[in-house]
Amino acid sequence: MSRDLVTIKGGKDGFRLLVDSSASMEEIEAEIKKKLDENPGFFPEGTKFELEVADLDRSVKKGINQILSQRGLGVELSVKKDPPPATDEQSQMPPQYFIQHDGNVEAQEMTVVEHTVRGGEEVTSQGSVLVMGNVNPGAQIIAGGSIDVRGTCRGMVHAGAWGDISAVVIADRLMPTQIRIANMIARSPDIMEKSDFAERAYIKDGQIIIEPIER
Amino acid sequence: MSEVIVVTSGKGGVGKSTTTANLGVGLAMRGKKVVLIDTDTGLRNLDLLLGLENRIMYDLIDVVEGRVEIKKALVRHKKYENLQLLPTSQVKDKSAVNPADLMALCDELRKEYDFVIIDCPAGIEQGFQTAIAGADTAIVVTMPEVSAVRDADKIIGELGRSEKDNIKLIINRIRPAMVDSGEMMDMDDINDILAIKCIGQVPDDIKVVTSANRGEPVVGDNDSQAGKAYENIVGRLLGEDIPFMEFEKEGFFKKLMKAFKLSKD
Repeated sequence: MSRDLVTIKGGKDGFRLLVDSSASMEEIEAEIKKKLDENPGFFPEGTKFELEVADLDRSVKKGINQILSQRGLGVELSVKKDPPPATDEQSQMPPQYFIQHDGNVEAQEMTVVEHTVRGGEEVTSQGSVLVMGNVNPGAQIIAGGSIDVRGTCRGMVHAGAWGDISAVVIADRLMPTQIRIANMIARSPDIMEKSDFAERAYIKDGQIIIEPIER
Repeated sequence: MSEVIVVTSGKGGVGKSTTTANLGVGLAMRGKKVVLIDTDTGLRNLDLLLGLENRIMYDLIDVVEGRVEIKKALVRHKKYENLQLLPTSQVKDKSAVNPADLMALCDELRKEYDFVIIDCPAGIEQGFQTAIAGADTAIVVTMPEVSAVRDADKIIGELGRSEKDNIKLIINRIRPAMVDSGEMMDMDDINDILAIKCIGQVPDDIKVVTSANRGEPVVGDNDSQAGKAYENIVGRLLGEDIPFMEFEKEGFFKKLMKAFKLSKD
């Protein structure tokens, strides 16, 4: 498996920038620029990245700092050598799986949330998100891929947040305040009905469709 | 084994102080040694609910800043000798106490009392962080109202982030008739969203207000449904297995009886 030289991960406290310490500065620079240009507008000015620097060269650190600051982005250095300890939000080793994307197979990360996401909490992930619990009103899940809630989903969910219109939202009881998929928004009916079966929301013919599924 | 309990809610007006006062008195009636700490600095009112305002000499701030010993600042309850109140200051604000201070204080009081109950201010800012610092158990008070449940949910999340995992729920100010007619969230809805152990369901009862004005918590009052509900909560805190009570609903017939003064109630 070829590992990305540069990975940007979304977490509860912001973004983390993971850099392969064996890569050269040129490769890293090209990769970072590519990542940032892929999603223009996603990283607004002032966005801070946490960079783990334990095994990075000083010149590389400086280089990364320059690239980001040219775009008005900031870097916070952190010296954690180990991967950050599992917060409640994310399990220690997110399982990796592969998705077919324009003929290319690329590794995608799945964030597994092993508890109920409560009001005011936000889970952001570049990949898909699996919630082993409820998503309560006032909570937000933002995923680059799909979202699966093994419980009741009452919060705001945004699947395919960076434009993936094939992303879906699945929940055992799907009653969110809003479902967003890619650039489409569907809001809940003003009088919420209780749903008794698992449902899936996806985009079909330019609309968000919700249909019951078997689980 | 002594226990430090914080009573919190996020939203104001759901009955944190009322619950604190009632649990305090209820536990004291059962012979436990109890101390209540008011941490709502600047908006102190736990002393009022207990009818102890005129006996306050020193407060939490004096203790924290080392001006007096804890023992001197504690106010003994009129009726129950084993119930003490540590009031806070009405003139200072929440920045006067920090989490480390309160933690040290709780550890000190834990040695002598069976229960230390902390009345937490509304909000999720510094006052809240201070109040929960020393607690083993958190009791979240909410009401059958969407905003109160939303805030309780947020508070439970905050408690989790502060590594307080022993969280219990009290649903206060329930109006059984409204729940029945579907105009108020029912207990199952609330438990479904909050998903923490519920240890009490307290009906809305005018006796809570009248007794608060008199400075005598309703918990000893057997004519009051809320009083009974609080008594049950006290029992559950002590590990007893008590089923939730059915609320009396004031039906049309009873109202009619009342109108003709046939019912004593």
